[in-house]
Amino acid sequence: MQSSLKPSRLSLARRESLWAYAFIAPWILGFIIFTVGPMLASLFFSFTEYDVVSSPRWIGLKNYTNLIHDELFWHSLSITFRYAAIALPLGLVFSYLIAVLLNQKIRGINIWRTVYFLPSVIAGVAVALLWSRIFDARSGILNPFLAQLGIKGPGWFSDPDWAIPALVIMSLWGVGGNIIIYLAGLQGVPTDLYDAAKVDGATAWQRFRYVTLPMTTPVIFYNLVLGLIGTFQYFTEVYVISSGNSGTGGGLGGPARSTLFYNIYLYQNAFRYFHMGYASTMAWVLFIIVLGFTLLIFRSSDTWVYYEGQLKGR
Amino acid sequence: MKKNLFNVLTLLVLASALLSACAGAAPATPVEKVKVVIFVGMGTGTDPDQVDAQNKLAEKFNSTHDNIEIEFLIVPHEEYATRYLAMLSGGNAPQLVGPNGISSVAEFFDTWEDITPYIEAEKLDLSDFYGPAVALNQYPDKNTGLPLGLYPSYLYYNKDLFDAAGLDYPTHDFEDKSWNMDKLREVAMQLTVDKNGKNATDADFDPENIVQYGYDDSWDGMRGTLADWGAENVGRPTTSDYKTAVADSPEWIQGLQWVSDGVWKDHFIGSAEVQAGRDSAGVDPFGPGTTGMFYSHTWYLAEGLHDLTFSADIAPYPYNPKGERIARIDADNFTIPKDAKNKQQAWEVMKWLTSPEIIVDVCRIYGCIPARKSVQAKFLEQLKTDYPGIDYDVIFKSIDYLDKPNNEEWIPEWGKIEDALNNGLSLIYSGEEKDATKVLTDSNAEVQKILDEYWASH
Repeated sequence: MQSSLKPSRLSLARRESLWAYAFIAPWILGFIIFTVGPMLASLFFSFTEYDVVSSPRWIGLKNYTNLIHDELFWHSLSITFRYAAIALPLGLVFSYLIAVLLNQKIRGINIWRTVYFLPSVIAGVAVALLWSRIFDARSGILNPFLAQLGIKGPGWFSDPDWAIPALVIMSLWGVGGNIIIYLAGLQGVPTDLYDAAKVDGATAWQRFRYVTLPMTTPVIFYNLVLGLIGTFQYFTEVYVISSGNSGTGGGLGGPARSTLFYNIYLYQNAFRYFHMGYASTMAWVLFIIVLGFTLLIFRSSDTWVYYEGQLKGR
Repeated sequence: MKKNLFNVLTLLVLASALLSACAGAAPATPVEKVKVVIFVGMGTGTDPDQVDAQNKLAEKFNSTHDNIEIEFLIVPHEEYATRYLAMLSGGNAPQLVGPNGISSVAEFFDTWEDITPYIEAEKLDLSDFYGPAVALNQYPDKNTGLPLGLYPSYLYYNKDLFDAAGLDYPTHDFEDKSWNMDKLREVAMQLTVDKNGKNATDADFDPENIVQYGYDDSWDGMRGTLADWGAENVGRPTTSDYKTAVADSPEWIQGLQWVSDGVWKDHFIGSAEVQAGRDSAGVDPFGPGTTGMFYSHTWYLAEGLHDLTFSADIAPYPYNPKGERIARIDADNFTIPKDAKNKQQAWEVMKWLTSPEIIVDVCRIYGCIPARKSVQAKFLEQLKTDYPGIDYDVIFKSIDYLDKPNNEEWIPEWGKIEDALNNGLSLIYSGEEKDATKVLTDSNAEVQKILDEYWASH
């Protein structure tokens, strides 16, 4: 009994730190073993020729120089950029507008919020299968609908010119996650700002433009960063849709390489061509590209992201 | 205290004596069975019916063998590469992989064990196997496995559609040279019908609203599509030393232009849009009854020739413009990964699976023709039960016209070259490019570049 009453030799703060470390240790261990470890291994492999079957052979920077001369590397990068350039801003704007609508005080708004969020909880594989049926030129439901409007629907996933637009449309299906984050941001805007703006005679558009938008820039920033990373990691949906292609459809990344996204080409190099070293190089180049863009966004955030209560220069 | 100690020691001695006595009477410890895991998923074998049949096969083996236990590891086809490579790199290679087509043998060529030493050690007699089946597993530096089955190719045709069009069925006479690619085109156009009932030879035929196609070969890639056209290297896009690309041979160009015209000019072949519709609906090209002739292999017997709502038969593939008949073939085997443990036991299982007593059962699961001559009569009886009313001679005779070099056989950078060529095929089927010369010239340049890079580092 006496010993439990003895004052600890460690200070309270020190003890709390130790407990904190003890609690986060499983995560840290997992991170080191399952994330940092494989990352370092792939960094090593990126300087080797490695086909999984034989031992890795050190080749220095050859994989990196080969990448520069690889036409399909540039092609896959351009496909990914093209998709990102359309899908990312479209997804951000679309989800923001939906969130603004879902922030209105109308009857049954919770049902609407649920309806818009639900699609985002469906797994990517199921979404891909669902949309491949919707887009099917012969038996899908989209083209007959377009026909009613007098528009001849394209082949979508079987037409190299329409495969990317189809994937962009499909991506809007999963904006529920963004909507929830925007909604939280919109509900955090102090109402007294709107009241003050109203007193000053601001119109609805002006309240949106000069109050809502600046006050929600932190969540826009957050969604932009996560969206950018997600877009450059785009894989599952394309894999599911194009892996069903027969030879006539050009196989994975088809038709006619129109969906050969960066990650699809990386996957092919790793698991179809057994160029695991080269695939590791691609993974690190992608990491650097995403890191570069993310830093750029962070750097630019000073000019367009407004944090309430933040003092400039701090 | 002393008395207690004495009692305890006495009890211990008695217990030891009792245990010793019992030990003699106890049954001998059973010999631990060595497990042989058979990785299934590279080709066929993952349909629910096939999984059940494989489990029954495993029960049959396990109940008759004391020292080896087999287990079929079923891997979804779309995951086979990642799972197999993960098992290899994790030091957990399966003992056997199969059934493997020629293409998956080629895809993972460097990972397979050479079984020549096993054959030589036992002086195993291979004379009962069909010669082509043995040859298809034999590469310059290794034998990848004992032959399991062959998948010859021929035309499946819908008799009802031929009857409706008032056309004679395709000849079953292998000597009839009038059955050539021109004739196939002519018949296929007459079998291609629009929503108004006009066929593709009619002047007012509506190509925008086709409801029935004359011909389909969409289950194969570029090499398979063009292997039958009589090029010097047949189904191989390189010279025999694998150093020069020959994908732009006149025969391949002629064949691909025939396909391109078939899709876009003569309209008897469905475009990529039609194929995608079938893929997404999960139906095969022949089963729905809207394709007159479907060029495929015996695996379609097991996969599609059940529950047809129409009458069907099979016929030889036509002669090519050079007056030769080539009907591409595939073959299955089981392979042993180099890194597998218990390879001797894997070899025993491979022998069992391909033995005369078992091979018919195994081939019925996968839809192949057993690679042993001695079981042909038994298998034929089985075919007659499973698929009544078709001309079985066509199946067996087609073996004689196999493509050699084979359309799936190993070449350097197999997967990369396969993808490059299939990209060209998708340009044709999607209509992005309709000129076969342009497509194959570009594809050939790409293949040559891949070969040059390969040889620069080998």
